[in-house]
Amino acid sequence: MPRSEAASRLGVPSAELTGTASTPAPGRSASPAGRPGQGAERPRRRGHRTPPGLPWILPAVVLVVGLVYFSIGYTGYVSTLSWNGFILSAPKHVGGANYSKMVGDGVFWMALWHTAVFYVVTFTVQTLLGFTFAALMHSRIRLGVVYKVVVFIPVVLAPATMAPVFRQIFDASGQLNWLLSHLGLGSLTQPWLAQSSTAMPVVMVITVWQWTGLTFILFYAAMSQIEPEILEAARIDGAGNLRALRSIVWPMCRGTTAALAVLGLIGALKTFDVPYLVTKGGPNHATEFLGTYIYQTMVQQKHFGYAASISVALLVLALAGGVVMSVRNRRAGRS
Amino acid sequence: MRTSTVTSRRGRMASVAALATTALLALGACSGGSNASGSTAAATPGAGASGSITWWGWTPDATNATKLIAQFNKQYPDVKVTFVSKPIDSYDSVLGPAITSKDGPDVFNVAPGSANGGAQTFAAGAIDLTPAVQSALGSGWKDKLAPAGVDGLTVDGKLVGLSAGAVYSGGLWINQKIFDKYGLKAPTTLDEWKTVCQKLQSNGQGCFVQGAGQWAFDMDTFEAISDNVEPGLYVKASKGEAKWTDPKFVTAMGLWKQLFDDKIMQDGAIGLQQYPDANNAFMSGKYAMVMMGTWYTQYAVKDSMVAAMQAAGVGTPDPIVMTPIPFPDLAGTGHTGSMFGDADYGLAVSAKSGNKAAATAFATWLTTSQEGQQAVANTLNDIPALKGVTPKWDTIDLVDPAAQKDALQKYTEAAGQATESRFATVTADVNTAFRDALIGVASGKSTPDQALQALQKVQDAQK
Repeated sequence: MPRSEAASRLGVPSAELTGTASTPAPGRSASPAGRPGQGAERPRRRGHRTPPGLPWILPAVVLVVGLVYFSIGYTGYVSTLSWNGFILSAPKHVGGANYSKMVGDGVFWMALWHTAVFYVVTFTVQTLLGFTFAALMHSRIRLGVVYKVVVFIPVVLAPATMAPVFRQIFDASGQLNWLLSHLGLGSLTQPWLAQSSTAMPVVMVITVWQWTGLTFILFYAAMSQIEPEILEAARIDGAGNLRALRSIVWPMCRGTTAALAVLGLIGALKTFDVPYLVTKGGPNHATEFLGTYIYQTMVQQKHFGYAASISVALLVLALAGGVVMSVRNRRAGRS
Repeated sequence: MRTSTVTSRRGRMASVAALATTALLALGACSGGSNASGSTAAATPGAGASGSITWWGWTPDATNATKLIAQFNKQYPDVKVTFVSKPIDSYDSVLGPAITSKDGPDVFNVAPGSANGGAQTFAAGAIDLTPAVQSALGSGWKDKLAPAGVDGLTVDGKLVGLSAGAVYSGGLWINQKIFDKYGLKAPTTLDEWKTVCQKLQSNGQGCFVQGAGQWAFDMDTFEAISDNVEPGLYVKASKGEAKWTDPKFVTAMGLWKQLFDDKIMQDGAIGLQQYPDANNAFMSGKYAMVMMGTWYTQYAVKDSMVAAMQAAGVGTPDPIVMTPIPFPDLAGTGHTGSMFGDADYGLAVSAKSGNKAAATAFATWLTTSQEGQQAVANTLNDIPALKGVTPKWDTIDLVDPAAQKDALQKYTEAAGQATESRFATVTADVNTAFRDALIGVASGKSTPDQALQALQKVQDAQK
């Protein structure tokens, strides 16, 4: 919604919403259009009413500096310790030893590799599915609202509540194998969660099931912003549905795709709940991610310093990945 | 005006700095600095104790905790004890911050070795209970308590917790009704075990269930196999007195792998957890055998079994008649019946407790008094720490006394004689290395030799 329109609906001039000084342009009356008789007093009153910014942002500053940045700094400090994590236990300073250990740790690199594969696969599949669903829903199909709800519901379900269900479904004696057997596909039955080769695809399937709804809703919103005239013009030029999707809709949703790519990357780096709850990072570290590995080293092995060093690595990767992708998307947008 | 603006800005900046500093200092205060050495003298347990205390633990279950507290209140009516059950997986995470505050638990569970609630980890947050136990049992107190409960809970000479009782593993539990239905006898060798499983599986009945993804229980099975190959070698290796690469462990690892290859382990075992998956599968009658320890004895009691079956999803439970059997002689050495265990849980008194007298009275009563230990024994959850105390079987409502009583009596007596430890001598790193070794071999990712070499490497790094 344009700001001026929003302002008129709220019954206030748009300048008030922007918070900018309402100094009249040369040759113009200070009185806003449609509000006669108030113009002369307005600048002074606004100046008087404009509050200093600091008190407004102070709570947020304290919260962010006090909690978020302090925590990041503290994690960095802990990463230089050998410590069991119990606050009353004396830590031992080990400098950069935890980082050296991390570089030589095969499980750490395995977790990173899993993150990369997981990101590429889940982002690609979610984007394809989300975009397709969004396009279908824009075609005014019957019971569209029902389908929207069905696709979106997994987003609001907590992984903790769904994990036992998926463990049951993908168990060797679970519903998936039962279904395959009854469809005459008994040769395809597998102990899905017990094999390194199938455990990761299961984690990916669950993740795609859970997050496609969000991708769909964002694409749906992006498609709603496309002016119908543009599509109409394409049709007049002879573009069919697929051509219009490929050449008009998809490029015009680039911003959404880019945002989803960044969110997906950060989400992949932070992946914890599904692999932890469904496969515990196994078998044989086949579904180990940085999050599950941090949990294992911190909670199970009590190596808080080492876990903190992996956390710092995760933070650096997330920041670097986010920045690189944003820059790349901005450049692509300009070109 | 400019001057005042600058002053005002400076003032604001100073306020911001002061506020931010205060916040950081507050957080810093939360994060460390206080040093409760735990050297506070323990209060002598006595009848004068009163007030309310909170007890945190992952065990016993709520039903048994209520029974224990009720017994305690017969002697200490003025002490109100509230038991808060915490999931074992997240116990360490929640306990750490809690016992640095006086608002946390007054009494909390600790365990030996690499288990959750490790005494080593939380020693600094607990008082030394030596004076309390000396007061309760006299100077010869060590002789009156099971050694596993004392050694594993002592850290640098400080008695961090008093063992309520111990749990032992090494045997199997069978569903007697299923065995009777198919005319089967408990297997005593590998071949018999295979035959039993073939018979059950051919009738659509699950045989043996293990949540092999939860490797602590895999370690139990492996220790049982290792003890079958050569008794005591496992504990020696965990102490660094023998090598994991010893050919006898290669044999044991081969037998572990054979359980999977011979379909004794259920399909997809390493994708399951012992709790809740395997436990629920056994409790719902889907499988006839499971590898659990003495803590499972409590489910021989009718009401505990009914509750456990309901928790496993059985709507109208017909209580399972469960009996313990020795681990089969897989290696053919004749060394069977081995059991190994540690203190199940010890009661520690928080150094920050606002009512140490009542907390110490409760901890000492439950772990050293005849009445407290009898109450522990009768729950059948633990083998009592106080020597000479055994369950009063005639007062316990077993599901089927005729089928269970003798077997349970022998089982608990054998456990009480056990001297081998379970996790007490295994460090957290070796514990985790066992996961890679056992699951790696089970899934065919590693050979027994490769797995044991990797295990030895981690063991060597502990020195």
